[in-house]
Amino acid sequence: MASVSELYDVGWEEMRDKLRKWREDNCRNSEQIVDVGEELISEHGSKLGDDIWIIYEQVMIAALDCSRDDLALTCLQELRKQFPDSHRVKRLSGMRLEALERYDEANKHYDAILQDDPTNTAARKRKISILKAQGKSAEAIRELNEYLEHEAVSVLYQSAPCFPCDFHSYGKAAFCLEELMMTNPHNHLYCEQYAEVKYTQGGLENLELSRKYFAQALRLNNRNMRALFGLYMSASHIAASPKVGAKVKKDNMKYAAWAATQINRAYKLAGRGTKENKCSVKAVEEMLESMQITMS
Amino acid sequence: MAEPELLLDSNIRLWVVLPIVFITFLVGVIRHYVSILLQSDKKLTLEQVSDSQVLIRSRILRENGKYIPKQSFLMRKFYFNNQEDGFFKKTKRKVVPPSPMTDPSMLTDMMKGNVTNVLPMILIGGWINWTFSGFVTTKVPFPLTLRFKPMLQQGIELLSLDASWVSSASWYFLNVFGLRSMYSLILGQDNGADQSRIMQEQMSGAAMAMPADTNKAFKAEWEALELTDHQWALESVEDELMSRELDLDGMFSKELPTGIF
Repeated sequence: MASVSELYDVGWEEMRDKLRKWREDNCRNSEQIVDVGEELISEHGSKLGDDIWIIYEQVMIAALDCSRDDLALTCLQELRKQFPDSHRVKRLSGMRLEALERYDEANKHYDAILQDDPTNTAARKRKISILKAQGKSAEAIRELNEYLEHEAVSVLYQSAPCFPCDFHSYGKAAFCLEELMMTNPHNHLYCEQYAEVKYTQGGLENLELSRKYFAQALRLNNRNMRALFGLYMSASHIAASPKVGAKVKKDNMKYAAWAATQINRAYKLAGRGTKENKCSVKAVEEMLESMQITMS
Repeated sequence: MAEPELLLDSNIRLWVVLPIVFITFLVGVIRHYVSILLQSDKKLTLEQVSDSQVLIRSRILRENGKYIPKQSFLMRKFYFNNQEDGFFKKTKRKVVPPSPMTDPSMLTDMMKGNVTNVLPMILIGGWINWTFSGFVTTKVPFPLTLRFKPMLQQGIELLSLDASWVSSASWYFLNVFGLRSMYSLILGQDNGADQSRIMQEQMSGAAMAMPADTNKAFKAEWEALELTDHQWALESVEDELMSRELDLDGMFSKELPTGIF
């Protein structure tokens, strides 16, 4: 198999810069990181200088993701040799144990770190992920709550909504998503997820909220198809509800109609240049018809 | 007015001016590394961390509260600010404002600061004064009154000499302050050799509010939160959205970026 540098005709500096960019953007493209990083370490290790340690860490975590235990172990050993007493390296060994499913030993590692330094956030986060991986969701939620009392780290809130949704406590999920929306107001995915939670909760007020947040998600990102469908669904749901007044009904039908035209446009664009164009557009229209909530 | 221009021996330039510059610079660099070595570890307690997190949460609520529904905003505001039960009202941290005399860690910090900064300056200033005495070193480019003479011309007993001509001790002090920008260039910002900054801090330190005084911080946060109102950013979002067609350009373009580079 050709090496990365041959395949793309890049030098080691570009590879190193690419790794740095991925590090700064927090990308999780583990396979690519492993490919590039492995070659960088083995071929050009001496040229990297002090950068090599952070690259070891980055590659090790990516290797754990791709199940490359050999590579992870090599990186870990190098780091241990260089930084024998470091909490950060201890956390990495804990992560490797987690990947090998030796959860008790991993827990012992993290407890040791926390004993030394009770404010170490990384260790706490790993403990909660262990609980999650073991499937003990209730305990994980409890630990999460306790942790959140001490620190409202937004990263934690990101993993939080999936728990309550598993347990149908949508109120808690909504709370977590609100926190996320406040810390990242321009992220359309949070708006959309929040709107979906509100839609699932049901009730006229929640439907209105969900419609508004679907619209906000669309405003932040015009191409969010899920939000577009969500807008259509929530608007037609409200319009079909018997409790609303005439004006509200009219408004919502207008919204639903607008959403439908946009959906049609999108599908036309998607099917551009293919023979099945007309058929798929018709299929979309039929689908929209069938999704109409009718008064029963 | 024709001042008699003194012609200084060029040896002075070689053996006095330049050595003083080097000495000052090297002493500064050494001070920087010594201060790094002597730096004491600041350990945060769990309570301090959670307090700072609460303050961050409240600040985010104030700034971005308009993106969440009104009900949720009010609920959070109530949690923080409620008369009997609110977090900011209820929590009184037992904070002893760390005065320099009582808090031992502060005392050692101050001592270390003094030792590394003020003491060398005095010692070296005195040594330079003693070594390079008896002659004029340089001339400052602006005219000075006679009252500066005893200060700047230590060791030169000439009554008629213009006050602009200064001795080596004053050249040393000029260097201490002048090399500050050099230090930033070479050692990066926040370096331990930056004496004038440290002296400024020491002078204003007495008037500065202690960041450990969380009660005051809570009170300030409470007031700020009381004043914030909820202006929902999503009031007319649908109309804004539907005023024009969605921008679907390039959504289904054939070219997808592949590969790493």
